[in-house]
Amino acid sequence: MNRGVGGGLFAFSYTLLFFLFLFGPLIIMVITAFNSSAFPRVVPWECFTTDWFGLLIRNERLMTGLWTSLAIGIAVVAIAVPFGLAGALALADIGPRLRAGLYAVLITPILIPGVVLGISTIVFWSFVGRKLGAGYDTVFYNGLFLTLLGQVAFIASYAMLILSARLQRFDPTLTEAALDLGATPGQAFRKILLPFLKPALGSAAFITFLASFENYNTTVFTILSGNTFTTALASKVRHGTDPSLSALAVIIIAVTLIGAMVQEAHHRRRDLLRGGRPERSRLYANPLTRLLTHPAAILLILVGCTGAIIWQASHHDAQACRADILSEKQRVQERLLQEQQQRMQQRQTQTPAAPTAPSNNPSPFGGAFNPGSLAPK
Amino acid sequence: MTSLARFSRDFSSRHGTGAASFVVAAVLFWIVFLILLPQLAMLDVSFRHNLPRPEVGGPRDVHTLDNYRYFLFGNSGGAALNALDIGVLTKTLVAAVLVTVLDILLCYPIAFILAHSASGAGARLMVIGLIVPFWINDILRAFAFRILFGATGVINGVGLSLGLWDQPIDFIRADVALYAGLAYTYVLLMVFSIYNAVETLDRNQIEAARDMGASWWRVHWRIVLPVAKPGIASGATMVFMLTAGALAAPQILGGPSNLWFTQLIYQWFNDAGDWARGSAYATILLVVCLAFVFLMMRIFRVSIGAIGR
Amino acid sequence: MTKDVVLDHVSIRFGGYTAVENAHLTIRGGEFFSFLGPSGCGKTTLLRCISGFVQPSAGRVLIGGEDMRNVGPNKRPTALIFQNLALFPLLTVAENIAFPLEVRRVGRKQRRKRADELLEMIALPGTGDKKVHELSGGQKQRVAIARALAAEPDILLLDEPLSALDLKLRQHMRTELRAIQQRVGLTFIYITHDQGEALTMSDQVAVMNAGVIEQIDNPETIYNRPRTPFVASFVGESNAIHGVVLSQTGRLATLDTPLGPLTGQAAGGRTYLPKERCTLFVRPEQLFIADTPPEVNTIKAKRVNEEFEGSIRTLYLQAGGEALRLYHMNAAVSAALASGDGAVTVSFKPEQATILPDDPALSG
Ligand SMILES: Nc1ncnc2c1ncn2[C@@H]1O[C@H](COP(=O)(O)OP(=O)(O)OP(=O)(O)O)[C@@H](O)[C@H]1O
Ligand SMILES: [Mg+2]
Repeated sequence: MNRGVGGGLFAFSYTLLFFLFLFGPLIIMVITAFNSSAFPRVVPWECFTTDWFGLLIRNERLMTGLWTSLAIGIAVVAIAVPFGLAGALALADIGPRLRAGLYAVLITPILIPGVVLGISTIVFWSFVGRKLGAGYDTVFYNGLFLTLLGQVAFIASYAMLILSARLQRFDPTLTEAALDLGATPGQAFRKILLPFLKPALGSAAFITFLASFENYNTTVFTILSGNTFTTALASKVRHGTDPSLSALAVIIIAVTLIGAMVQEAHHRRRDLLRGGRPERSRLYANPLTRLLTHPAAILLILVGCTGAIIWQASHHDAQACRADILSEKQRVQERLLQEQQQRMQQRQTQTPAAPTAPSNNPSPFGGAFNPGSLAPK
Repeated sequence: MTSLARFSRDFSSRHGTGAASFVVAAVLFWIVFLILLPQLAMLDVSFRHNLPRPEVGGPRDVHTLDNYRYFLFGNSGGAALNALDIGVLTKTLVAAVLVTVLDILLCYPIAFILAHSASGAGARLMVIGLIVPFWINDILRAFAFRILFGATGVINGVGLSLGLWDQPIDFIRADVALYAGLAYTYVLLMVFSIYNAVETLDRNQIEAARDMGASWWRVHWRIVLPVAKPGIASGATMVFMLTAGALAAPQILGGPSNLWFTQLIYQWFNDAGDWARGSAYATILLVVCLAFVFLMMRIFRVSIGAIGR
Repeated sequence: MTKDVVLDHVSIRFGGYTAVENAHLTIRGGEFFSFLGPSGCGKTTLLRCISGFVQPSAGRVLIGGEDMRNVGPNKRPTALIFQNLALFPLLTVAENIAFPLEVRRVGRKQRRKRADELLEMIALPGTGDKKVHELSGGQKQRVAIARALAAEPDILLLDEPLSALDLKLRQHMRTELRAIQQRVGLTFIYITHDQGEALTMSDQVAVMNAGVIEQIDNPETIYNRPRTPFVASFVGESNAIHGVVLSQTGRLATLDTPLGPLTGQAAGGRTYLPKERCTLFVRPEQLFIADTPPEVNTIKAKRVNEEFEGSIRTLYLQAGGEALRLYHMNAAVSAALASGDGAVTVSFKPEQATILPDDPALSG
């Protein structure tokens, strides 16, 4: 492969650039989380601070949104995974002529724009509510209920795809063997097919939860006047911004990295054990390293380190530094003001001096980036 | 219906009556109540007037083409085209195609490298590296691009201090930030779609072709691309639909004057409270996008079965 | 307590395709019964019909006198050993074997005990806690048998269970299967496309061709007295010589063939019409080299080639435009073989050859 088809220097540099593109924005965002500058930026660097984390946690709208999102996510998993399972089973056992059609129908919710799904869900259920003569306080006008239905419509397709992929590798003679050995169809389903699908059910639950939690396009319609974590986040970003969002990104990235590392340790260990000769490996031979490379140990260590960093950081006081910066700013501002006044006096204009603060960035963002709108909402 | 009955009979003799009734009930509920009827309800509402609630179902609640007429001609009453809204739709589609193509170009090499050059720990690291950025919320990703491309953002900072340009460039108004952010958001989807297809390619084929003296681009064009095609089609379809239907990224990264079509829908539906017109616009988006996707599938000869694989 | 299996005019169709045509036979309780036929002739389909996975399109399946029409696979007194074994990959060996007990809600302790007994019986003690993928092919084979036996069926159905094994193991398992059958005294219905397996193990053999059962008999009759051209050529090796009937005296008929007049036994006591087109089948081991001119069936042949195979020597001969094969016990090399020009005289005993009609509808 190193003969120019995709290996060698080109591949290496391309991969490097690609991952720079992937991680660059995230790294910058992470850095801004620790800069005391009220506008999220890296330069000019003002003071190291962890205050943005506190600000994030004190944001009530986000935190209630978080609980709403968790509740919706769990409910979506509980419905979308069984629906996806039903879809996958139907696809596996239906005749070949109907299969293509059913597949097309079950896959379309993924292709339908989320906005469309959101609108159609509200329109339909309010229609049902009206026909039933239900009032505004009923389930048909309940944001949580509508969000649940709107999300399940397409998230179940994700679950179906995951489960279908696994089901295709199922040997149907296993079910027949179970039946032949005296199992009822129900027993064969529970004891043979479901255990086979278990890993896929796990990943489906995981993916569906994530998809539900992250969803914006559908939810922003179906949640009506309420808020999930994601919609609260979006409205915060749209109407003004501060580094507490960067702080949120830091938390998510940290959790993800810890998860990825534990997962990797788990994989390595499983490969090692499955390889059949764990005692051959140097890591496994030494009881200390064996203990240290256990996924649980790694999790513990990583969580411990993070905890220590948080504790350390929360005792960091940026007050002094920040005061310096503030006085520096004030000095600059006063100087600018004086210069301006001087200039105005010199020019002797008829118009009275406008009390505008000097703005160093002409903002095209509809006020989103004005210092005034940076206060947490 | 007879095939449905046959299916449930066969299925219950295999997996039990309980499983069979669950499968039939769940799939029917899903298709009918979550997919089909809502779309039909939306379609119906899109042909109605926006009436105050007491008048709904009253004598004035009749079907009309007003909403679609509005999309085509605005308030001009048929005299002139509604250049604004049609323009927004066109721009959205063109931009979505652009982002899709950008993603194909960006992801094809990575998918190939991941499938055929990287191995062991390197490949695993790449997979983790691909997945980690996508754990982060869409909204936060868009936010990161705003930090990056803002007037005082990192790119302007670097550009200015290196003297590449002397005025802050307004990347956001130029939609650069939006396109970059959208392309970034769907990279993972595209990489794994292409990867799944390319991975099935037998390495010996590539080596045989190389031995026969084919140049590297010819190897890709004649051998790898045909295998990658269903993956590219699947990835492109999803990226295109997701991009055309994106709402958060345009809201956060779009310039103040440049609207995405979904934003128009949002405005009609939520800001103006006009469900009928919002539904009409949503229907237009759905129909135009699906038509476009099916047209492309026709042209490139791929079937819908390839999607999601 | 043994149960007969009766196939009562069973036909099985998939859409327009007929996989099994009018199978009509009785399998006695306690018998080792084989279905022998080439790939795709409908053997598996027939077995799946007996075990209840396929419904007959016409006719009935009776087990122990009971019509099985509305009896599901899990309610029939049969246990099927699948072509691919279908062991449950996520369960241990012992859990696999005890599965039939588990679904009958037998207690855990008792299940384990029974599994261990059966493992003992198939000579795999102590492997109960292994996973299935840790076993060799032959071991999996035996576990599949033990699992089927744990269901305590009256009839064990085996679908080419030995086809995945290598030659040595296959021969070993043949004897083992037969021994197990005799020990447990169950009816075995065995499917194979390997005539060696069918002939060595079975009490009765049914030879199938393209969905039709052509002959049901004990192995010796099948081999020595084939009833149809297909059976004659599919079971064992045969030289087929075409000709027309000259005369028939009692059971012996004489054909006019390109090799001269040849006499053989009319199959199944048939009486042929003069001039009827027939084929004479004679096995290579029944041809012999005649050192002195024989009374009947003199074939002047020319040696084309020969192969040495240890215990026997195969001679490839050419006579009257037909290719013949002859197995020669290697010990003595006859004078005729040694002669330089390759001309040999071969012959066979009339009662060892079978004459079958090309069109069975004509004669009776
Ligand atoms: N479910 C089915 N639908 C349609 N045709 C089928 C079905 N099952 C089997 N057939 C057809 O019936 C014929 C007989 O198949 P069967 O599996 O019984 O063959 P077999 O004798 O067991 O062959 P082998 O020795 O290769 O296992 C084949 O031509 C097959 O294509
Ligand atoms: Mg078969």
